Amino acid sequence: MTGQFTYPPDREETSAAKVAALESLLIEKGVITGQTVDKVLAYFESEMTPLNGKKIVVKAWTDPDFAARVVDDTPAAIAELDLPEGMAGAEGEHLQAVANRPGVHNLIICSLCSCFPWPVLGLPPYWYKDPVFRARAAREPRHVLAEVGVDLPDDTEIKVWDSSGTHRWFVIPERPSGTEDFTAEELMDLVTTESMLGVALAGPAS
Amino acid sequence: MKLQHYIGGLEGLPEPLGVEPLSVEKRVFVEDWETRIFGIHVAMMGLSNHLGAALPRYPIQDVPTTFKDYWTWGHLRSSAEAMNPIDYFRLRYYERWLAGITQLLIDKGYLSEEELASRTKELMANDAPSPGNASPAVDEQIVQYLRNGDSPRRDVAHPRFAPGDRVRISNVPAAAHTRLPGCLRGRVGTVERVFEGDYAYFLRTGDGIGDPMPVYIVEFRPQELWGARAESGRTTFYAELFEAYLDGIS
Repeated sequence: MTGQFTYPPDREETSAAKVAALESLLIEKGVITGQTVDKVLAYFESEMTPLNGKKIVVKAWTDPDFAARVVDDTPAAIAELDLPEGMAGAEGEHLQAVANRPGVHNLIICSLCSCFPWPVLGLPPYWYKDPVFRARAAREPRHVLAEVGVDLPDDTEIKVWDSSGTHRWFVIPERPSGTEDFTAEELMDLVTTESMLGVALAGPAS
Repeated sequence: MKLQHYIGGLEGLPEPLGVEPLSVEKRVFVEDWETRIFGIHVAMMGLSNHLGAALPRYPIQDVPTTFKDYWTWGHLRSSAEAMNPIDYFRLRYYERWLAGITQLLIDKGYLSEEELASRTKELMANDAPSPGNASPAVDEQIVQYLRNGDSPRRDVAHPRFAPGDRVRISNVPAAAHTRLPGCLRGRVGTVERVFEGDYAYFLRTGDGIGDPMPVYIVEFRPQELWGARAESGRTTFYAELFEAYLDGIS
């Protein structure tokens, strides 16, 4: 998309200066403190990361009862696990998992904005927020998935979930074959943010 | 009518994902400054005065910040939807946030264009800004918000529709902000699920949402949404919709 437009050479420097001025004024005016933004960012780095989602997926892969529960009542199932406090916190108030299975592939999008399950996946990657992805994934998900390397059998149903309401969605991808002897740590390495949104299959990170 | 309400299904846009699969941009932030505007937004969310009524009921009036307003996703989304649509496509995600958040703070009277301009100059000249006097209790409130959230769920729902019901999506005049994807307007779908409880939206959009109401998953056939432009193959489109956006079919 960027290639469609021309931008000033100091594009980033200007934004950086503007946001620094904004933060500085908010601090001076007593809205936030000098530590606020750093504390927010540190919280996301330590508490709300895709590591939580990976643990949920691996638990579902290794415990069939949990796999059923995490789809039926996602918050309750997640609460069973040893994850940081706050999995029902900001943008996790109403989590909903959907599970891929043979013949069914789920894809999460947010056509209106960028709704995202922060506590379990962290913050949304750029592709998810891209208006072009959002536009195309709604109408031609099979084509978009093929473009990013997910070639699905013709008879596999694609379920597209548009996060336009109050729930925040993520995917339990299918466990790759040939991983029966993998440890939990090895299995976690196969789970990517992309696979938990449906634009990739679980497998070694590319 | 706002282009931003009609992103889903919009055709003819340039390739989003690059030629090679690897060019999918997986980073969350692509410039360091983007982290700062993200942090500012989250801070405002955690200090928003609606949290006094959200669950858990935060003691928001006691938090020693000078911020005394509402600041929710609805406010940020409204600013993105208010943007000239060419700018919406021209600007990167966090550039839109920076523009929208700055305008919201100016509109609410927390700062002025002139202050921003002069502060920008001072910072470039390395003049140290005032350290401010907000106390750490402000940051504690923001972390509490991150940890506990602000569920919009309210009492027991009395849904008008049940799973299996056919519904036509309403075509109410568009307001400044909506949670109704444009591609669904006037289309017929089937209720797949009724969520438990009612759900508020913390900003009255003017197109029907705000007060607590049921929320549904409605299932659509691609042919219903896209007609002859639907992709071949088995696909089901699900949208999560507030009851105000659903009409019965008699």
